Amino acid sequence: MKHSVTVAAVFLALGLASLPARGAEHPGKEALQKNGYHGSESCEECHPGTSAAFLETVHWKHASKVTNVEGLDPTKEYGMQNRIYVMCNGNDIVNNLKEIPKSPETGKTKFSGCNTCHPGNHLSDVGSTGPEAQKAVDCLVCHSSDYDFRQRKPYKDSEGRVVMGQDRSTKAALSISKPTVKNCMVCHEAAGGGVVVKRGFSFTKETDAHAAKGMVCVDCHKAKNHRMPTGLDPNNWASDGLLVSCADASCHGLKPHKDADLNRHTAHIACQTCHIPRTGGAFAKDFTVWEQGSDKFYEPTTLKKEANETTPVYAWYNGTVKNTPHFIGPKGSRQDGKSRITPFKIFQGKAFYDATSGQLLSMDFAPPMANGDTRAGVASAARTLGMKDPEKVAKNAVPGWQTIYFGSNHLVTKTKSLSCANCHAPNGILNFKDLGYSDDEIGKLTTPELYMKKLIEKQKEDW
Amino acid sequence: MKNALALVAVLALLAASLIGFSGTAQADEIKMVGVITKIEIAGKDAKSATVTLKDNKTENLVVLTVNDDLTLDKFKDHRIQEGDEIRCKYEVIDGKNVSKYFRKTAGC
Repeated sequence: MKHSVTVAAVFLALGLASLPARGAEHPGKEALQKNGYHGSESCEECHPGTSAAFLETVHWKHASKVTNVEGLDPTKEYGMQNRIYVMCNGNDIVNNLKEIPKSPETGKTKFSGCNTCHPGNHLSDVGSTGPEAQKAVDCLVCHSSDYDFRQRKPYKDSEGRVVMGQDRSTKAALSISKPTVKNCMVCHEAAGGGVVVKRGFSFTKETDAHAAKGMVCVDCHKAKNHRMPTGLDPNNWASDGLLVSCADASCHGLKPHKDADLNRHTAHIACQTCHIPRTGGAFAKDFTVWEQGSDKFYEPTTLKKEANETTPVYAWYNGTVKNTPHFIGPKGSRQDGKSRITPFKIFQGKAFYDATSGQLLSMDFAPPMANGDTRAGVASAARTLGMKDPEKVAKNAVPGWQTIYFGSNHLVTKTKSLSCANCHAPNGILNFKDLGYSDDEIGKLTTPELYMKKLIEKQKEDW
Repeated sequence: MKNALALVAVLALLAASLIGFSGTAQADEIKMVGVITKIEIAGKDAKSATVTLKDNKTENLVVLTVNDDLTLDKFKDHRIQEGDEIRCKYEVIDGKNVSKYFRKTAGC
C-alpha cells in the first residue's frame, strides 16, 4: 500500500511538473511531431489515467452533489446539466445541442444547445463515461494556445448524429501549456447568451487588478487533477469541492492590509465588498417574449450592461443558499457568526411557471429560436422531461419573474476600492437598516468620527 | 466706460469660443450591428486588421480598422469568423473607421 502511494505520488509529481507554465515548451515535442496527435490518447501516453479522472469533474459532468442549497436532494447531482433557472431557462437535457427547425422566413437552420461548450464531441456528452468518453475529451480546447476554432463546430455525421468537431492537429498539440485566459474565456465569456451576459465581468488589465498583474484564471482557480476550485456563489451550484479564497496563505492571507482597522473589517465584510464595487452583464431577461435578429432567428429579450456599468446589491452571506421558484440568493444574518456582508450581481428573469405546482418550467430553445413560439418551447421541454400532458402544461403556463443573486467575484480593483466614507457616510452604499442594524447603531456607523483623522492624513498625502 | 466693458466682454466671449472650437475635435462614436463579410489580417503577428461588416439596418458595407489585441487574437484563431454578427462602436479618425468595441452578439 505504502509502495503504491509512493508510486502515485511520483506519477502526480511528474504529471504536474510535465505541464509547463505559459511560454515554456511542453516535453514530448519530438514524439508529437513524429507520431502526430491523436486526441486524448496521445496525452495519455505521458498522463495515464487523466482522461478517466477528468470524466469525474464538473467540467465534464456539468453537475455535482450540492450541499449548500436548500430544497435539493443530497443524493442527486445538480448543475448546468439539469438545473432550471431564469438566466438560461434551459439546460443540457432540454437544450441538448441539435439542429433547430428551419426559420419560416429564410428556410435556414442552425445548431444550438446549452452543451455547445462541453469539452467532448457530443457523441460522448455531458456526464458520459467509459473508454469512448475518455477518447472524446478535447484536451486542446483548454490547453492549446494555437487551437483553430474553425474546427470546433457542430456538424452532422453520415448517420445523421450531431457531432462537435475538435482541432486535433499536431500544430495545435505543439502549443500546449496550462490554460491561458483565452482558453477559459472561450466558454466562460459568452455564457448566458452573449459576451459578458451571465457573469458580467471581463478579465483584462483594464478591468481586473489580477489581470493587470499578468495573472491568469488558473492562478487563483488552481486545479487539482482537473478539479477546479471556485468561490461560493449562490447561483453556481455544481462544484469540484475545492474553494478559492483570497485569504489563502499564498495569496493575501488573513491580514491583507497594513492598516489594522481595515483588517478588522474582514471578519464581517467580504473582500469583494470593497474591492469589487461594480458589476455588469445582463440584469433582466424575458424568456416569454423573444426578439427577432438580423438572421431572422429569435433570442430571449435581454437587457444588459458592460462590465463595471452596474452596481451590486449587498447582503449577509454564510455560503448557504435560499432556493425558491421566484428567488435564488444568499442566506445569512448578522447573528449567525458565519456571514459576511457580500456584494452580488442582481438579475431578474421572466419565464413560465407551472399553473398547478407553481414551479419554474424550462424551455427547449429550438422552437422559439426558429419562430418565436415560446410556449412550444415549454411543451417540448416538458415532453423531454416526461411531464404529463406537455401541451396542457405549456398552454396553462403562467409567466412570472425570478430574482437571482450571482456571486460578484471578478473586476477586482485596488485603486478604485471603496474607502471609509463610501460606507460610513449617511449616503453610503450599504443600507445598514436592511442589513439588520438598529437606528442607534446606524448613527454610530455613519459618523465621520470613525474615519476623519485617517482620511485627513490620506488627503494630505494625496495632495 | 460702459462701452469699454462691453468690448471686453465681447472679446472674452470670442476668445472663449475660439478656445472651445479650436481644441482637438472629438470624434463621434458610431454604433452598429452587422454581419462580417470579410476579415483581412496579415499573419499571426499582425497588429491591425481590416474587417468589412454589412450593417443590419442600412445593408451598407462598412469597413473597420481593428487594433485591439483581444479582438485580433479572436480573428487569428477564428473565434470570430466571417458570417458572425457583431455589435460594434467605431470612431472616424483620419478618414478611417477605427473600432472601439467589437463583440459577437451570439452566446450559448
